[in-house]
This record gives sequence, structure tokens and C-alpha cells, in this order.
Amino acid sequence: MPMSRRCIPYTPRRHELSETTFALVSTAGVHLRDQEPYDLAGDNSWRLIPGDVQSSQLMVTHEHYNHSHADQDINCVFPIDRLREMAAEGVIGGVGDKHLGFMGYSQKLRDLYERAAPEMAKIIERSQADAVLLTAG
Amino acid sequence: MLGLPTVLITLRPAASREMGPPRAISPVGFLLGDCLGPPNQPDLQRRVLRDALRRWEAREEPGNIWELNYPDYQSDPAIVNGGEIVSE
Repeated sequence: MPMSRRCIPYTPRRHELSETTFALVSTAGVHLRDQEPYDLAGDNSWRLIPGDVQSSQLMVTHEHYNHSHADQDINCVFPIDRLREMAAEGVIGGVGDKHLGFMGYSQKLRDLYERAAPEMAKIIERSQADAVLLTAG
Repeated sequence: MLGLPTVLITLRPAASREMGPPRAISPVGFLLGDCLGPPNQPDLQRRVLRDALRRWEAREEPGNIWELNYPDYQSDPAIVNGGEIVSE
């Protein structure tokens, strides 16, 4: 399914940075250690990562990039601790109560665009977040 | 619902540009796996994150990817092929 290359979707920000709560959504293959790993053959499922997660509870399943650095420090690809520091300093308004992990490797692109991505967006829209930081591997 | 304003940190700006992210930054020269920077370097990670938040704040034309240099970034010589793993 072709993506539109003419129209860039754009949502203006409605608040100042210091009043904005951010969620993290990553295609770097991040998930909780006790969650089912992603299917390395291709996977459009996501993992809900709770807002109070400790970075030590997180790991990466992905075989298309070298994640040895993220294995040492998940903030290389999922900067949950850095985001909390920014919130504590008042740079941002807060850190959301829900984040999403995803693997970002899939052969089922139509399913990704038409089902998976909208469902993920809905989860974040219904969370505390009013902005999203997207990261990849 | 209008949707949520996003900002992307990408290490593959050319590929990301194809998808038309409204706001994005790209740290130049970072290896895949070092999206925010190397492990246990919170100061550099914070600078990358702060720049992403600046991009989020900036009111400018959507689709513009800020390609940013971090001169103190040192790539790990143990990581080959730019961090990419190609399936055989």
C-alpha cells in the first residue's frame, strides 16, 4: 500500500513544552522482560509498557540492528530515564502513563497501516500523553 | 480528536523522509542502536533528547528533518556495518 508522499500529516502543538506530557513509542524492539518477545520473522504486535516501568525491567528483541548498547542501557533507544529527568526539571510537563514497544520489522504493511498503527495511536490518544517521542533502533 | 504532535529521532533520515514525519531530528554519524547516543552517557543522551524537544517546539514547516552534529560522539569500534545486521 503506497504511502502518500505529497501530504505530510501535521498536528500542531496545543501547549508549551513545559505543559506537555510525553509518551514514548519505539520501533527498536523494546519490551518488558516478562512479556512475550517479538516474532523475529516479522511482527505487527506491540507491547504496552507501563508508565511506572523501571528501565532495568526492559529489554530488546530485534535482529536487524546491533542492540548490544541498548542491552547495557535501554536509554540508547528508549530514553525513559532521560525523559523523567526532563520532567523533574520542569522542561516537559510529565511522562505519560503508557508507552508502546514495537519491532518495526514486518512484511504485512497493509495490516500495519490499516490496523496496527491506528490501534496503537488510539491507545496513546486515550492515555495521559498529549505528545509522542518516536524512536527507532 | 486532532491527533497528537510527534517528534521522531531517526538515524536513517533518507528512509524516514520517505514516510514524511512532520517533525524529526537525525544525529549525524550515530550507529544504529545509538539512537540517543552510546550507553551510560546521560549527558549526550540528554542533549539529543533536548534537541528533539526543541524540534517538537519549533513552529516551522512540517517534514523538515534537522540533521544535527554531536562532535563528542564516538562510535564503538566493536560495532560493525554501522550497527546494521543484514539477514543472510
